[in-house]
Amino acid sequence: MTTYSKVQQTLVSLKSAQATLERYALIAQDEKARKTFQRNVDKLQSTIDRLSQRVQTMEWEEPQYKGF
Amino acid sequence: MLPAWLEIIIRSFSLIVFLMVLTRLLGRKIASRMTYFDIVFAIALGMIAAAVSIRLIDVLSGVIALLTWGLIGMGISYLSLKSKMVRDLVHGREAVVIKHGKVMEDQLKKMRYTPEDLLQQLRSKQIFNLADVEFAVMESDGEINALLKSNRQPITPKHLGVQTAPETGVQTVILDGNILDEPLTTMGLNRGWLRTELEKIGVSPENVFIAQVDGMGELYIDLFDDTIQIPQPSTRQLLLNSLEQAKADLETYSLETDNQSAKKMYRQSAKELSSVIYDVRHLLK
Repeated sequence: MTTYSKVQQTLVSLKSAQATLERYALIAQDEKARKTFQRNVDKLQSTIDRLSQRVQTMEWEEPQYKGF
Repeated sequence: MLPAWLEIIIRSFSLIVFLMVLTRLLGRKIASRMTYFDIVFAIALGMIAAAVSIRLIDVLSGVIALLTWGLIGMGISYLSLKSKMVRDLVHGREAVVIKHGKVMEDQLKKMRYTPEDLLQQLRSKQIFNLADVEFAVMESDGEINALLKSNRQPITPKHLGVQTAPETGVQTVILDGNILDEPLTTMGLNRGWLRTELEKIGVSPENVFIAQVDGMGELYIDLFDDTIQIPQPSTRQLLLNSLEQAKADLETYSLETDNQSAKKMYRQSAKELSSVIYDVRHLLK
């Protein structure tokens, strides 16, 4: 596996984790728990943004990956 | 004139009905929570009724006695609801029998409680060592409740400094194969959600004996057919694992890359992830 596809995989699993957290943020019965989940959904978003930017840079640097 | 046996039957029967009404009016109390006064009252009522029933006394004086006892009983229970003084007077008050780990002998004597009684009561609470008790109170019904010394108290998550997920109530959403709408609504869920969750596990609602949803929307089910193995809910553990995995991956990338700014970015992201993990860990355990 190339670094590119590995990074992409991490990105996808982070997105899925974020979605699960978001679901908990909606469903959790406890107010405080809900807030904690929401806070971490937002925190993950910034990580995801940065990582997807990195993926784009890699595509630009090494065009042969594009389209994977 | 009625034959004696018939009269006894009639008397007993009507007295039972009478007593049933009277005890209802006197208020309900759990037998084990009865104070000395309550017990005396109950016995007196019972004895008068029994005496009338076997013709030891005539009906008129029996009924008068029962009514008097009943009315006074109702009066006292009403007054003791209203006033603390009457309560203390009638039912007695709680007394501190062990204070700062020392037995208050005077109090025990006042309550006619022998040291053996005290020890026995403590033993029934799994306290075999008097030295473990910091504070103990004798309730008005004679029961002893003890507070252990702080280093003898059971360990709670708070002692260990462990954060725990808040335990919000569990709702039962399926009973005997029937979906219950009201608990679902209380949780902010609906039948559609439940169907999807059941589909994920691969069972239909009719095969579910009991299904419960916890505060995090996790479904626990018990099927009619006990031979079928169903997966236990593990989404939370999986989520935690995937976060940990992503964090480890990011750390690896930061080591592998030669690009300085990418290195920094990966390291930063890994740090962020570990703060996320730290924040939600206790909720996902």
